[in-house]
Amino acid sequence: MSLEPVRDDTLDADGNVDPQAILDLLGDRVLDIEEHMNADIAVVVRPDTVEETLLALRDEAGFDHCSLVTAQEYEDRYESIYHLKQYDDPTNEVSVVVPATKDDPVSQSGNAAYRTCDWHEREAYDLVGIEYENHPDMRRILMPETWQGHPLSMDYDQDRPQVVTLGQHDNPLKDDIRDEENDTMFINIGPHHPATHGVLHVKTVLDGETVANVESDIGYLHRCEEQVCQNGTYRHQIMPYPDRWDYVSAGLLNEWAYARAAEDLADIEVPEYAQVIRTMGAELCRVAAHMLALGTFALDVYGDFTAIFQYAFRDREVVQNILEELTGQRMMFNYFRLGGVAWDLPEPREDFFELTRDFLDGLPGKLEEYHDLITSNEIFQLRCVDTGILEPEVAKSYGATGPVARASGVDYDLRRDDPYGYYDELDWDVVTEDGKDNYARVLTRMQEVEESAKIIKQCVDLLEEWPEEERTIQSNVPRTLKPENDTETYRAVEAAKGELGIYMRADGTDKPARFKIRSPCFSNLQTLPEMAQGEYIPDLIASLGSLDIVLGEVDR
Amino acid sequence: MATQTLPEFISEITGLGSFGVAGEFVAAIVGAGIIGTIMLTYTGIAGPWAKRKITAAFTDRYAANRMGPFGLLTIPADALRLLSKELIIPERVDRPAFDLAPLVVAGSALFAFAVIPMGSLFGINMQIADPEAGLAYAFAVASIATLGLTMAGYASANKFSFMGSLRAIAQNIAYEIPLVLTGASVVIFAGSLQMSEIVAAQTISGGAEPLFSIAGLGIPPWFAFVNPFAFVLFTIANIAEVGRNPFDIPEAPTEIVAGYQTEYSSVYFVLIYLGEFLHIFLGGAIAATLFLGGPAGPVLPGFVWFTIKIWGFFLLTQWARSAVPRVRIDQLIEIGWKGMLVLSFANLLLTAVIVGVIA
Amino acid sequence: MIGILKGMATTMKHALDGEKFTVQYPEETPEVSARFRGVHKFSQERCIWCRQCENVCPNDTIHIVTDDQRQGEEYNLHIGQCIYCRLCEEVCPVDAILLTQNFEFTGDTKDELVYNKEQLKSVPWYKDIDPLESREPDRGAWIGEGDGEVDYQ
Repeated sequence: MSLEPVRDDTLDADGNVDPQAILDLLGDRVLDIEEHMNADIAVVVRPDTVEETLLALRDEAGFDHCSLVTAQEYEDRYESIYHLKQYDDPTNEVSVVVPATKDDPVSQSGNAAYRTCDWHEREAYDLVGIEYENHPDMRRILMPETWQGHPLSMDYDQDRPQVVTLGQHDNPLKDDIRDEENDTMFINIGPHHPATHGVLHVKTVLDGETVANVESDIGYLHRCEEQVCQNGTYRHQIMPYPDRWDYVSAGLLNEWAYARAAEDLADIEVPEYAQVIRTMGAELCRVAAHMLALGTFALDVYGDFTAIFQYAFRDREVVQNILEELTGQRMMFNYFRLGGVAWDLPEPREDFFELTRDFLDGLPGKLEEYHDLITSNEIFQLRCVDTGILEPEVAKSYGATGPVARASGVDYDLRRDDPYGYYDELDWDVVTEDGKDNYARVLTRMQEVEESAKIIKQCVDLLEEWPEEERTIQSNVPRTLKPENDTETYRAVEAAKGELGIYMRADGTDKPARFKIRSPCFSNLQTLPEMAQGEYIPDLIASLGSLDIVLGEVDR
Repeated sequence: MATQTLPEFISEITGLGSFGVAGEFVAAIVGAGIIGTIMLTYTGIAGPWAKRKITAAFTDRYAANRMGPFGLLTIPADALRLLSKELIIPERVDRPAFDLAPLVVAGSALFAFAVIPMGSLFGINMQIADPEAGLAYAFAVASIATLGLTMAGYASANKFSFMGSLRAIAQNIAYEIPLVLTGASVVIFAGSLQMSEIVAAQTISGGAEPLFSIAGLGIPPWFAFVNPFAFVLFTIANIAEVGRNPFDIPEAPTEIVAGYQTEYSSVYFVLIYLGEFLHIFLGGAIAATLFLGGPAGPVLPGFVWFTIKIWGFFLLTQWARSAVPRVRIDQLIEIGWKGMLVLSFANLLLTAVIVGVIA
Repeated sequence: MIGILKGMATTMKHALDGEKFTVQYPEETPEVSARFRGVHKFSQERCIWCRQCENVCPNDTIHIVTDDQRQGEEYNLHIGQCIYCRLCEEVCPVDAILLTQNFEFTGDTKDELVYNKEQLKSVPWYKDIDPLESREPDRGAWIGEGDGEVDYQ
């Protein structure tokens, strides 16, 4: 990937994508043009030209970020959509739509252009049933290896029993394979292990204490979240579920991802007052989520009796109390509604402002304490500086976002680059670090907490002075929403872990025909082998901790 | 010495002394039983109760406060709970080694307490034996634990256990040498390997000159004051030896689950757990004897002072646990071989030169 | 070394100041927000059996049985399955179902967590917080009909 992509041809004077230039670039590879609400242009290409199309867009038009690969089945065809963006300007979006025939759903893999396609295409194969040519590792990813059928395909029979005899499973208790040549040891870290932050299974090959190979095995917490949302109505029934993707109290951020996509799809206005409340709530959630990330990372590096974990939980508890006052619940908020939020600030408002201000006033002192405990500790520095290096180019290729990417110097934050809510009216900075290591990732999160505090403070000030007659918390939204048939959109927000996006396709009913979640943890976790190979086991654990994954969001 | 040792006292009051060697043997066994009971009581308090309370204090929590006054009944409750658990022995373990390992781990620490001078209590010197090579015996017996850890890790037929035991061996070898070398520098000062002599060399009543006097109060020449550098070295090596933060890598729960004790359950687990705490107390006891004047201290009986000192060391390990990160295995080895070893040799050499010049 | 000592000093400071953050739960009951969502309370007198709550429930927690006159016979709610999203309360036009602040419930089997209308009626308030009162200022926002069709059955 060249450092300065040639992009003058495809961008117009304002830096926006010139659709005609894209068409010129791709030439006769383009079969058709589709309408995607988010993208500047959605081109349809033949399944055997995927690789060259993606490479052309990456190298010659500067689309260096493959957000998501969505697969779906129509009555007459299968379809994979590559949602491409630019790290420099994520509002420049191009969708590459690849239809595949019904009887032989084979499509070329985009792996050569974007390494992140590896897992995304495996998931597409697993759930929908499209096979990708030239894919390095075409296996199931979420479902067990022995699963019969593809759950999101149309001919899937969910009543058919999935009984697989023990012999057909990979026996976990089988005898060790010993050979003379290799001096390595295979070890399963997880799915039940103190450091995997949930049910993650890391297949590790060790050479002494050095990690020779790492492979993450996910899917233990797959809860069919996409299908759950496909069975819920836009207006009410989907909103409770985003809380449960990234369940470590990043709920409002997740809800915003759905709200943003659905409001885009159904063209709903959100009152400004509600946007301010949303912004404040979301940042409170980010603080809570980063506190947890900090605490668990300390647990991984310090050992299981460290006080830092408990201190981080204590501070997180304060945030949760504020969120409970606001939303009524500590983690599973269900607070956003399409077109606004469910509640105004609690009465008496002064008490709520005081509560929030008290928290904000105490925060610098507490962060100081964390710096004493964590970042200024020499052993901690010894452990974390220059371990788990993630090069920015690698991070981009894997579609890493959020603090993980920003700690590698990738200046990418959707709150600033693709503004939503009230962020562009407020004064705050995007935190980036150049360390690229575990230490930088911790530092990034700690600084982001400070930035979030700045945002919360401004929101509180705004809310306090908001004229009483203009406090509209919800716009008038129909009870039943039926977006037009065949409207498609992909919208993302900056969640605690990175770019959390939702792809939705409407089919004219009150439920989405396809609901696809772009989980930041899913993409970030893919970088683990790049970070951990060749390092020691403790560094593997630290790197895993510094990625701050939530398995509920990885597996969905 | 004026006071009797524990076995002597027992043989006198029970009249066992008149039975000759056999009587003394029985008296020694009874004495060992008493000392063992005391140490196991400490461990029993430390493991289920004190550790929880201390950790809770560091983390702003309440802990163990439901059962009895200050939650003290947690101790019997926990003992009952652990003992009534099912003893699970995995299929492919190496049987005798797997069963013996917990005993070796717990036993090695208990044996070493035989020579530790615990000070006098009601006029009885709480020491079972005071051989001339006491310090060498203590170091030798304490390091048998490494064998136990190796057995535990190897026999468990579990890769995490195996890695834990390999780490334990690497760590114990790397830190045993600085530990013994720093101990040797004390021996040079005291001019004896005998524990009672080492203590006597640090106490004014034992005939030593005060280090210096403040307002007429003589500060005793504890070796920790005479040579603080050696004390710091010894403490660090000691923490590594007992495997506590920042050197708890043989267990390292977030990395290798629980290291060598991964497969142990029920009684075996209790034994290993007890053994670990006994080793912490033993580490404290050796450090106290070598550097802090053993049972010496004003007003209170020696045994009380000794207890305070070993609990102080226990507190230090728990304190380190709350705030000090674990080092990585390669860093640990590097600190051990490139740092501690060199420094302890330098310390030994300097001590020898200084003592040689002065004497 | 200074960093390590600073860290150790910080934890020691916390140990010595004697402050506790955790709550001794059964003796000390936590303060909950007036908006907190706990076990439901159901009022048969108010209910008009419009079944909106049953329709809106995202995971079929509410189960209503009516006779052929559309008179209510049974109102069952599986509080073990409920995700406490409060959508039933939000759509209810007559405040017949409310989420109290009560979060204390137990059951030995899943069956015991299925509450019928009598059990739902006798759910106690938590600390005498009346949810209805605390929610009054916002009711306008929830029951706005919007411009679209209203699908009462």
